[in-house]
Amino acid sequence: MTNFKMKATLAALLLAGSMLPAFAQETLKIGAIGSLSGGGTAWGLAIQRGAELAVDEVNKAGGLKVGDKTYKVELLMRDDQYTGQGGKTAAERLVFQDKVKFIVGPIGSNPVLSTVQVTTPEKVLLMSNGFAPAILKNDHKASYNFRFTLTNVEYAPNMMKWVKDNLKLKKVGILVPNDAIGQQVAPALVKLYKESGIDTIADFYERGSKEFSPLITRMMAAGVDGFDLNFNAPGEAGLMVKQARQIGFDKTIFQMGGPSVPEIVEVAGKQAEGFISYEMVDFDQPSVVAFVKAYEAKYGKGIMNSQTPAFYNATKILFEAIRRAGTVDDTTKVRDQVEKIAGYDAGIYGPVRWTGMANYGVDHQLALPFYVVEVKDGKAVRRATLQVD
Amino acid sequence: MLTSPIVLGQIVVNGLSLSSIYILVALGFTLLFGIMRVVNFAHGEFAMLGGFSLYYLYAVFKLPWLLAIVLVPFMVALPALLLEWLVFRWFYQKMFQSMIGLLGLNMAMIYTALIAWDAFERNIPAAFDGIVRFGGIIAPIDRLVTIGISLLALAGFYLLMVHTRWGLAMRAAAQDVDIAATQGIDTRRIYKLAFVVAIGLAALAGALYGQIYSVSPFMGERPLFVAFVVVILGGMGSIPGAALGGVLLGFTESLLGTLYGGSVAAYASFGIVILLLIFRPWGLLGKPE
Repeated sequence: MTNFKMKATLAALLLAGSMLPAFAQETLKIGAIGSLSGGGTAWGLAIQRGAELAVDEVNKAGGLKVGDKTYKVELLMRDDQYTGQGGKTAAERLVFQDKVKFIVGPIGSNPVLSTVQVTTPEKVLLMSNGFAPAILKNDHKASYNFRFTLTNVEYAPNMMKWVKDNLKLKKVGILVPNDAIGQQVAPALVKLYKESGIDTIADFYERGSKEFSPLITRMMAAGVDGFDLNFNAPGEAGLMVKQARQIGFDKTIFQMGGPSVPEIVEVAGKQAEGFISYEMVDFDQPSVVAFVKAYEAKYGKGIMNSQTPAFYNATKILFEAIRRAGTVDDTTKVRDQVEKIAGYDAGIYGPVRWTGMANYGVDHQLALPFYVVEVKDGKAVRRATLQVD
Repeated sequence: MLTSPIVLGQIVVNGLSLSSIYILVALGFTLLFGIMRVVNFAHGEFAMLGGFSLYYLYAVFKLPWLLAIVLVPFMVALPALLLEWLVFRWFYQKMFQSMIGLLGLNMAMIYTALIAWDAFERNIPAAFDGIVRFGGIIAPIDRLVTIGISLLALAGFYLLMVHTRWGLAMRAAAQDVDIAATQGIDTRRIYKLAFVVAIGLAALAGALYGQIYSVSPFMGERPLFVAFVVVILGGMGSIPGAALGGVLLGFTESLLGTLYGGSVAAYASFGIVILLLIFRPWGLLGKPE
């Protein structure tokens, strides 16, 4: 090789070397857990898609800047089959095999409770959902997990007040799934109605049922003037609305919790007119409109599950906390930043506010505004905006 | 108040409507078992394909409902012949192997559908809106249409089985496939015919089921469960048994669900099945093996 050629090669190598840091990106693996099989699949897809949209956003912007490094974020999704055992297995795979430090999901008390058992001792940060109070109220004071959606503890008191003041009901029928959640949460709801001076008649059905006409007939004969579809999966609630209207129930049908208006409108069609529901997202807000657009661009025009924005929000809050903590390894520092992140706005729900000390002994419960909507011409129209006390 | 004439009338209307769907769902299931000794665990998924077929033909492509509902069984059953060739034919006369093999097919079909159509539930708009009132009793018109179509399907199926040479050949193959073959019956062709009829019925049931309830990749679970209970009640492989089982299950659910609640209805349905399995394991109208 001539001297000139050697120098030129050396110069080229040096140049390439100096440019390297600008291009070489490390990868930050984020775990996600949700049901990708069985009846909870719509919720699992909501977790996956919400997190994916947040990951896409940060990767498109060049990656997640943490200290002097920029990371390309990779999402590792694991199926929990909507069971406790499934949640535990998924968490163990992510924590011990994939070595992730941050997990988004799951939904559902059983998978969440078993996931927490794996993640907390390993100091892995968990951004989950799940209604059971024990998810936050436990011996370790939810030291490494946060809840990103409201439970009935947060929304039910003010929602009940609205129902009492506006719907003027005397006797409400409640159709309850015959599972752990239904059996645990229904008595609290019945009690809340009683305290508000409203009678109830509650009855159980098996999950997966499609035919509710006999139960609805039974409750109509008992003189109910309203149905609360609080605990029902979106498809079930849609069928209840449809079947109640088909057998001539012309009074109020509403849902105190478990927002799923688009799904209910899809299943119940015209029969959904006048249906009143709790809603977590203000779909008229410009940032939410943009989010829905991004969702449809990636996943098609199908119905977006209401949990999708919640997990987009959770993932964005996690990214911001990692950025502020300046570390992807020290989860305690990141946890501290999540706790201090009040005021940060990820775009969907407004500024972050943590609550929960009174009910769970720790402020790891996200306080979100929530809405009462009514279906008019197939669309959810807002009737009221409510806050968590 | 629960035993007022109006409530009792409503129980009858609900019971009839449930029974008609249950019979339709169970017919194809019992046919496949009766003739080929195949326990079709993928039955619910063919119902699901029927639901999606009606969704596309009627709700998306806006074909007249009557044309759409007639096309559905063919749309599902004819392409399903490929699955017959690939999967089903290997399990004919092998009851236990068929359970495992077709459970695998069931999973494959659900998750292929999930990739293709997503997890959310779709609505097929009612073809016949409105309700009919008899005194205080209310019957949705789409349920009455379902009852009518189920009766037509049952009658057509009965005519096919009892009054045609094909039906005779199918019944002969069901009794003893080897002897039927020695009598000159092309059992391979008869199996294919029975397969097309069974899958067509499942698809028709799924289309009506999907229209009354909703359509999703997971919608097949319940029809499969119903088909199982109905044919165990009526007797595996027995056509009149499927009809009787459907009526029993439909009316048990309607009557007990209304008078005593959903849990009692579920316990009673299973209780009857368990008692039957103990004292008459071949079902009400089945034949002991």
